[in-house]
Amino acid sequence: MLLGACLQNKMRKYFLVITNTWNEILTYRLSFILWRLRTVLQLLTIYFLWSSLIPHQKTLFGYSQSLMLTYVIGTSFISSIVLSTRTHEIGENINSGNLSAFLARPIGYFGYWFARDMGDKLGNITFSLIELAFLFFLINPPLFFQTDVIYLLFFITTIFLGIILHFCIGSLLGMIGFWSPEVWAPRFIFFILIGFFAGSLFPLDIFPKPIFNLLQFMPFSYLLFFPLKIYLGQLSVPQIMQGISISLVWIIFLSGCLYFVWRKGLKMYTAYGN
Amino acid sequence: MIISVSHLSKYYQVYKKEPGLWRSVSSFFARKYETIKAVEDISFSITEGELVGFIGPNGAGKTTTLKCLSGLLYPTHGSISVLGFTPYERKYAYLKQMSLVMGQKNQLWWDLPVIESIELYKEIYNVSDNEYKKSLLELTELLEVKDLLRVQVKKLSLGERMKCELLAALIHRPKVLFLDEPTIGLDVVMQKKLREFIKEYNKRYKATIMLTSHYMRDVEALCKRVIIINHGKMLYDGELLELIKKHAPYKLIKVILKESINIKRIEQLGEVLHFSYPEFILRVDHKKMGQAATKILEEFPVEDVTIEDPDMEYVIRGMFTK
Amino acid sequence: MEIKRYFRLWLLFTRLTTMVAFQSRFGAIVFLFGKLLRFLFFLLFIVVLVSKTQTLVGYSIWQIVFFFATFNLIDTIPQLLWREVYRFRSYVVSGFFDYIITKPISPLFRSLFGGSDILDIVMLIISFIFIFFSAAKLEILTLMGIISFCALVLNAMVISLALHIFVLSIGILTTEIDNAIMLYRDLTQMGRLPIDVYAQPLRGFLTFIIPVGIMITFPAKAIMGLLSWQMLIFSFAAGLTFFILSLFCWNFALKHYASVSS
Repeated sequence: MLLGACLQNKMRKYFLVITNTWNEILTYRLSFILWRLRTVLQLLTIYFLWSSLIPHQKTLFGYSQSLMLTYVIGTSFISSIVLSTRTHEIGENINSGNLSAFLARPIGYFGYWFARDMGDKLGNITFSLIELAFLFFLINPPLFFQTDVIYLLFFITTIFLGIILHFCIGSLLGMIGFWSPEVWAPRFIFFILIGFFAGSLFPLDIFPKPIFNLLQFMPFSYLLFFPLKIYLGQLSVPQIMQGISISLVWIIFLSGCLYFVWRKGLKMYTAYGN
Repeated sequence: MIISVSHLSKYYQVYKKEPGLWRSVSSFFARKYETIKAVEDISFSITEGELVGFIGPNGAGKTTTLKCLSGLLYPTHGSISVLGFTPYERKYAYLKQMSLVMGQKNQLWWDLPVIESIELYKEIYNVSDNEYKKSLLELTELLEVKDLLRVQVKKLSLGERMKCELLAALIHRPKVLFLDEPTIGLDVVMQKKLREFIKEYNKRYKATIMLTSHYMRDVEALCKRVIIINHGKMLYDGELLELIKKHAPYKLIKVILKESINIKRIEQLGEVLHFSYPEFILRVDHKKMGQAATKILEEFPVEDVTIEDPDMEYVIRGMFTK
Repeated sequence: MEIKRYFRLWLLFTRLTTMVAFQSRFGAIVFLFGKLLRFLFFLLFIVVLVSKTQTLVGYSIWQIVFFFATFNLIDTIPQLLWREVYRFRSYVVSGFFDYIITKPISPLFRSLFGGSDILDIVMLIISFIFIFFSAAKLEILTLMGIISFCALVLNAMVISLALHIFVLSIGILTTEIDNAIMLYRDLTQMGRLPIDVYAQPLRGFLTFIIPVGIMITFPAKAIMGLLSWQMLIFSFAAGLTFFILSLFCWNFALKHYASVSS
């Protein structure tokens, strides 16, 4: 009982961070709506591109039109879950010295940012759902629905892994703030890498085998491409297991790095007495 | 007449922001507007070389008036003429002869040495090389910023930066200068230095200067003439000394006693503002001043007497609360 | 005389902006590297796509590369010249815009050209190289085609300028929107491939409402001899219309600023 109450108390502050982030989105709603408009535009571009590249009843790179369109819409939706984040504020937070205020508070630094991520995801998912509802209503895309519970369970699991993996990378990039004011430039590279190799523009298996194999060992494909492939039922159980293992290895490796870099950065930060 | 303003009014249409998601959505479609009268029916004129202080509490309309004068805002009613121009038209011939300096904002390039920005403004104002050299030399000397020119702006202290801001704003030798809170946030020593500079600039170049400040000291030290506004309306326009005579027709007599006396005896002379042995402060009407002073010196065991003008800040605050 | 003065001012602004950029060399180089990566990745995508299908909606691989190179040219020049537009909102928010409009220099010029990004010259050169190489592989090249290509690229610059002016105007009218210029970038990115690849109704939308087609696809089509003279004239008319409308919009925004800024 006592433990439960204690835990509840602990979770409460993180819950507050989530709702605060949600309120922030509403306050800057015009900017947020424009941001969503941009994602919708990107989705529409890719959607119409593939719908004319793969005519009805034909296949390209092993994808039928309905599979490809499901893939495109699916990645767009999953990216609102996996890729929406506030970790890009970490670097600025450290740069500006606001980190000190956090260190004085009884809240875990990464817990705080993860909760913020959750709030941001909540906003994006809500909007994404509304947009997709409109899209269905307007263009009624031919979609593939997965009914196998096993695949759906794997699908959900890999989305969670994707969320954690993306959080690790995002936070790690934020740690640059300890050493340099140039926190945006490396993130820009990261955005570009994700833009191509997470699989939102096209499914990665259209690449020639050697490139695709290489991509499988990088973390990017486990953010969007891998969960979607499971949803489409195109991976065997050993393949799924392999993918999950690789993403787990990445998560362990990156969170280890994060822990190490955080300790090192913090030591320097407090030594300078910001 | 360098500046003449007649019946200037400036109203804003501000739409009401309402709290709550649904309210804000509905106000997105049907906005409720509110009219805010920032400035209402103000008239004054300023002759060449005058240095006029513009006083009022926050939100009184000082900045709005300065913005109208410098051409940033166009008046809702009334007309303005500065150097024979209508400011709002923002003719280059006008802009070249005036300068606006806002205490909280900066126009120097943050990451670069000061001199780079100054040279940019030289080009923008089309200042000839000779004039530029002369101005730069004189102004850097007056402002004591010679050593700062090669320093990055972001490495300057607030006071140093403000001096350099002034240098940038004056490099084209404007005939008219609008200063909005030039000393805000500065320490006392730096405030004094800036004040001295402004006074010197006014004298040396016969520049017409209008300045707002909420430090009464600035205005007291610099301006013979003040314009006071509150809630957008003009309360007073005239000499600072006259203002004191009119609104505070009294002096303060501060006495330090040798030995204790009965308080009743002083109360007959005027209003006792403060009494704690050995010191008391007495407020005495202007006309009865001489009489009271003699009486104090004759009848009380006095160690020291000083006669002071009432505190400006106090007087003006009194006007605003009326 | 006035043009000469403004050119000198542009050089001066660019000098200062470059000095600032070189203070953070690392960041500048990483950004440039990122742009290069983006270029190469998309090229890779195109090659993969076309190698499988041989032609893309009837275009050969070199034609598609030419479309992409044209996109890069038309995407890069405005970024190089009018980079200041990306910083404009912060000027309005911080009040620096008050200083911009009380200086004896056109505020529109200052807000467009006041921070040109010289580093983008690298991307510009790459665009040119790819345009020349892929143009050489096109089957027919006529003088007329080349001239209309150049004219349409200029026309695209006029349209882009107009769109940048729209973005500036929005920045003055409301400070609540902070990524209007990115919306422009997203829209033009649709022109990385010829707009013929998009199914209707998107294609019509991109031609007649948002002029991505006119800006990017039409110049490339003109050099390939695939653009009718009606469309050519339509393009110039659209360019002129956009430009005039944008100036109206800017003046309206300035008037608005003068009536409400506080």
